[in-house]
Amino acid sequence: MENLLEQSSLFLQQLVNGITLGGVYALIAVGYTMVYGVIQLINFAHGEIYMLGAFLAYSMVTFLGLPFFLAFALTIPVCAIIGIILDFIAYRPLRNAPRLAALITAIGMSIFLQNLALMIWGSQIKSYPRNILPKVFSEPALIFGEVSISWLQVFILSVTIFCMIFLHLVIHKTRIGAAMRAVSQDKTTAALMGISVNRVISFTFAIGSAMGGLAGVLVGLYYNAIFPTMGYVAGVKAFAAAVLGGIGSVPGAILGGGVLGIAEVMGAGYISSEYRDGISYAVMIGVILFKPSGLIGRKIGEKV
Amino acid sequence: MKKLGLFLVMWMMFIGSASAEVIKIPVAGAFTGPLASFGEGIKNAALLKAEEINAAGGIHGKKVVIVLEDDLCDPREAATIATKLANDPDISIVIGHLCSSSSLAALPIYKGARIPAISPASTNVNLGKMSPYYFRDVYRDDFQGLFLAKYAKEARGLKKVAIFYEMNDYSMGLMLAFEEKAKKLGIRIIGKEAYTADTTDFKPQLTKFKMMKPDAIFIPGYAPQGTLIVSQAKDLGIKNTIFFGADGLDDDLMVKNPDAEGLFVTTPFLPDKAGPRAAGFIKAYREKYGKDPNWFAANTYDALGMAVAAIEAVGQDRDKIRNYLASINSKETAYKGVTGSTYFDENGDCLKDAFVKEIREGKWVSSEKQLQ
Repeated sequence: MENLLEQSSLFLQQLVNGITLGGVYALIAVGYTMVYGVIQLINFAHGEIYMLGAFLAYSMVTFLGLPFFLAFALTIPVCAIIGIILDFIAYRPLRNAPRLAALITAIGMSIFLQNLALMIWGSQIKSYPRNILPKVFSEPALIFGEVSISWLQVFILSVTIFCMIFLHLVIHKTRIGAAMRAVSQDKTTAALMGISVNRVISFTFAIGSAMGGLAGVLVGLYYNAIFPTMGYVAGVKAFAAAVLGGIGSVPGAILGGGVLGIAEVMGAGYISSEYRDGISYAVMIGVILFKPSGLIGRKIGEKV
Repeated sequence: MKKLGLFLVMWMMFIGSASAEVIKIPVAGAFTGPLASFGEGIKNAALLKAEEINAAGGIHGKKVVIVLEDDLCDPREAATIATKLANDPDISIVIGHLCSSSSLAALPIYKGARIPAISPASTNVNLGKMSPYYFRDVYRDDFQGLFLAKYAKEARGLKKVAIFYEMNDYSMGLMLAFEEKAKKLGIRIIGKEAYTADTTDFKPQLTKFKMMKPDAIFIPGYAPQGTLIVSQAKDLGIKNTIFFGADGLDDDLMVKNPDAEGLFVTTPFLPDKAGPRAAGFIKAYREKYGKDPNWFAANTYDALGMAVAAIEAVGQDRDKIRNYLASINSKETAYKGVTGSTYFDENGDCLKDAFVKEIREGKWVSSEKQLQ
């Protein structure tokens, strides 16, 4: 009996770990999927925006001495602006070039931003000062037997859920959201209908990058480690989550992030931690094999 | 003016060496660049030892001159330096190299030129087997695993240990050595989990450990991940569990983390636990450099001491020196230096004791319980 209780509390704790990790993946994946939905570009520099978000908040707290929540709030618009600049410099000049060209500049921007961060902040792992969060965050919010969920986990999950709802409302209830959907269907026709395509794309980058930067700060807080190459691994995982859910679909990114996070944690927890990443990618490959458009992706017919 | 003075000193050294009134001993390591802090102790100790030898009359009246060779811990630099030294007929032995990767690059060149080398710091397991001309007075990576198992059992009385290792050669070598010895000693290995270097999320594995309630968690990895592991363990509410590791965790990153309180690691040398033979060395080092010698310094001091003893005994013939070093192969013939007794096995690896230090209030301090 006690063993059963122990097993179930272990399972619950792992589930909580998985959902938190999945929420973070989802936040980053949304940035990939939105940009892909609008201009069919896989923005490989997105992981770097996430990294910059973590570092910008870090610098605001340590060098400028801002309170954490102010730094957190400021990081979001700054990352949005970086996203817009990124699009302006690296992708806009190539809007009508073959898609491969923009993909290559995306990889170039990723390398550039990573090295820029290396120059500014150095290669050593940094962590947020311990006292920036109110003490309550490190205390457990919920204890169930051996399972404990900290307020920080609750905070991360609620921010993630809030962002997802906000995003859903923006896409489906606002004029700019309607314009985004229009551009994603057909750029030329949308332009003919009087939509400023470039402005819509800039807006998409801004929203996606804001989410990425926000995810960076949350991850920096949760794992207490930020470093210039953190964007690469997180970017690859989030990209996998976006593909798993169906690239181009926002609910798909959320679902994909959740599935990937839980698969990774359960794989490490119950199968083998040596193959932790292998298991999560195997889940992704399995889904893609049977459902090539992803879990929620639309099936796009070949254009003739 | 300063530059001119330096030039004159170098010129005089050159003249000196040309007249063969001195014995040149090269010391190779990283003295500039990102790993210069490792090389500092090596340089300081070599210069100090040479000074002491010369003050006592040198080797049969000839002065010892230390030639510092900066390889930056870069294998290419190390190979260039090794070639230069191998072709210099005045050189009969090398102290070096510092990093295992440099030693791996330099070793075949020394072997080809039949020039013996003693490394004070390269711990890679395979080095010794690769050349009969290569010796070291530092332990091998896998030795730390054996030692830690013995220490965990005998000094700390740990019964249930979980291992959290990284997926690389260093970490897995340590893990396997530890596990084998621990099982023989009756320590229960209740869990073994792995991680990769690029991960920051250790919670799934730590959650498993939490349910197992180990006495201690062994982390045979590096400090960047080690510091995250101890913090995330605390987040998960893992209490009353000791963390320990090997030289990979011996880093300032760990000390700065308040969650790492009580963590212990192996180290080849501790000033306050060293035997009476070390007292003079520690005092002289403190006076000359204003700080305590670290293990790099202590090992270099002894490595140079062995080189000098060899030249004193058999002269400057490379093969004779090699054979002399190889004959130091038992407790009876051991070289007795500041790091204890050093003697080599058939591979030129040395078997000697390690020490343990732990983090107390943000500082490394020598553990009360040692295995000597």
